[in-house]
Amino acid sequence: MVMRTASGDLSSDDVVKRRGAPTPLATVASVGRRVAPYLAILPTMATFLVLLGYPVALVVVLSFQKYNLAELFGRAPSWIGLDNYREIFGNPQVLTIVLRTFLFTIANVALTLVVGTLIGLLLSRLGRWIRMLVSIALILAWAVPVVTGSVVFQWLFDSKFGVVNWALNSIRVFGDFTNHSWFDTGLTTFVVITMMMLWQTVPFVAFSVFAGLGSIPKEQFEAARVDGADERQMFRLITFPSLAPILLILTFLSTIWDFKVFTQIWTMRQGGPNNETETLSIYAYQVGVAGNRFGLAAAVSCVMVALLLIVLVPYIRRMIRTQE
Amino acid sequence: MNALTSRRAALNGVAVAIFAMWAFPFYWMVNSAFKRPEDIQTYVPRFLPWPPTLDNFANAIGQPHFTDFLRNSVFVAATTIALALLIGTLAAVTVARVRFRGRRGFLLLVAIAQMAPFEGLLIPIYLVIRQTPLYNQVPSLIVVYFIFVLPFTIWSLRGFVDGIPIDLEEAAMVDGCSRLGAFRHVILPLLLPGMVATAIFGFITAWNEFLYANAFMTDVQNHTLPVWLSAFRTNFGVDWGGTMAAATLFTLPVLIFFLIVQDRMVGGLTAGAVKG
Repeated sequence: MVMRTASGDLSSDDVVKRRGAPTPLATVASVGRRVAPYLAILPTMATFLVLLGYPVALVVVLSFQKYNLAELFGRAPSWIGLDNYREIFGNPQVLTIVLRTFLFTIANVALTLVVGTLIGLLLSRLGRWIRMLVSIALILAWAVPVVTGSVVFQWLFDSKFGVVNWALNSIRVFGDFTNHSWFDTGLTTFVVITMMMLWQTVPFVAFSVFAGLGSIPKEQFEAARVDGADERQMFRLITFPSLAPILLILTFLSTIWDFKVFTQIWTMRQGGPNNETETLSIYAYQVGVAGNRFGLAAAVSCVMVALLLIVLVPYIRRMIRTQE
Repeated sequence: MNALTSRRAALNGVAVAIFAMWAFPFYWMVNSAFKRPEDIQTYVPRFLPWPPTLDNFANAIGQPHFTDFLRNSVFVAATTIALALLIGTLAAVTVARVRFRGRRGFLLLVAIAQMAPFEGLLIPIYLVIRQTPLYNQVPSLIVVYFIFVLPFTIWSLRGFVDGIPIDLEEAAMVDGCSRLGAFRHVILPLLLPGMVATAIFGFITAWNEFLYANAFMTDVQNHTLPVWLSAFRTNFGVDWGGTMAAATLFTLPVLIFFLIVQDRMVGGLTAGAVKG
């Protein structure tokens, strides 16, 4: 009933009718008008509640339960308190994974930000045509799907016919790379993963910095030049402070992306060789999907989100402060 | 003067190097995709695919279940964006045009939902879907991707609606248009480019997604293209030409769509940061 009046309000009422004397029909219509916005957001709210809210609640609940293969097939899950968390933090192997995840994140965020900012600054100093050329290459890399990137980099770094080994051999600076296998150790596998991630994430940072540079009023530089400032001073006193908010949000986004990254690592070597590229998201996947230990995997997910929040607290606070 | 030109030359040199580094992986993918097998397995790489061949593409397309993968990917991505546009437009127009109690709270919810760590929700969503008839069926991915893209869809469309002057609708309503009529005849045509751009983002997200597609589908014929591509070692062995052809085919639609919306990418993601 309410539904029908609401849709009637949306479709058939015209302005003249609404302005008429208050008839019972008009009262219904005004109720309908008040209800209409809620009906319009109802599907979204239902989606958030059922498809997002419920899984979020469930992942927390699961993290306190024993939920393995037997529970999947009907046995009632039992409450085990903090046992899952104890298993995570009592396991020295997991501490290694946490440490590795942090190092990986720090390295990637720092490299992405530095290289991206430098390229953004470069873009602003280039002529129109060459800037377009560089932009096209950056956009190409940015547009490429992650799985494609992973497959292409495995081909570039192939031990036998990979073009990277050939190039390194040709310049003869770093020694002999004939049949050198990049995927034999965790560290060199990470090198390939990081190169691929830089290839795909730097463009976004570079374009954001470039856009930020464009929004700085030119008068500021002119005034500074009149006052006798040199390039370095102008960068320190005008460019960098103007870019600071954008760099902050880019650091924030990069930290979130790199900390949780899964596909890039998994499609490369599934966390191998010998689990040496296993980060927290890979660990959660192996424990849960491959190992059927859903409660433990849920606890790992909760730990990940908690760690991420702790790391991001300073950023969030500073962002709120700059908003004010 | 001389210092200035040499500085310019140095900058251009760096720019060309950056161009080469960023274009190379893409160029190498396409280059390898068109090479004959004997031109790929060479210790000194060939930088042009000459004579070119389409055999690699034929091999990729001819692989078992390729049409299944393609159909699954297209079906999932298309249904996801259709659903998200339908429900998202309804919410976005309402939020942009109607002041109702709880509007701010709703916007906050959308912003929070956009930041939800979906990687961490794999396990609970998996367990929920297992209990439904959707388990191990392709449509289960639509449910997941729909919730991925809905918050962004609302956020993005709301921005586009905000950009349409409200006077236009009011004029239409004074001229006798109903509210829905004003929406259909005034907002919708102006919103269409925004809807296309938003849909493209949704399409790319769904088309590229790997984690859920890989974890949820146990039967091969239910896989999507990225899952198939990631298993290239099993599917193609050391046939790098076939692998690169598959990668090129998978990438092409994304590339075309991405180029259409690329100018909106930067502003959309860091909006608000510049104004500071």
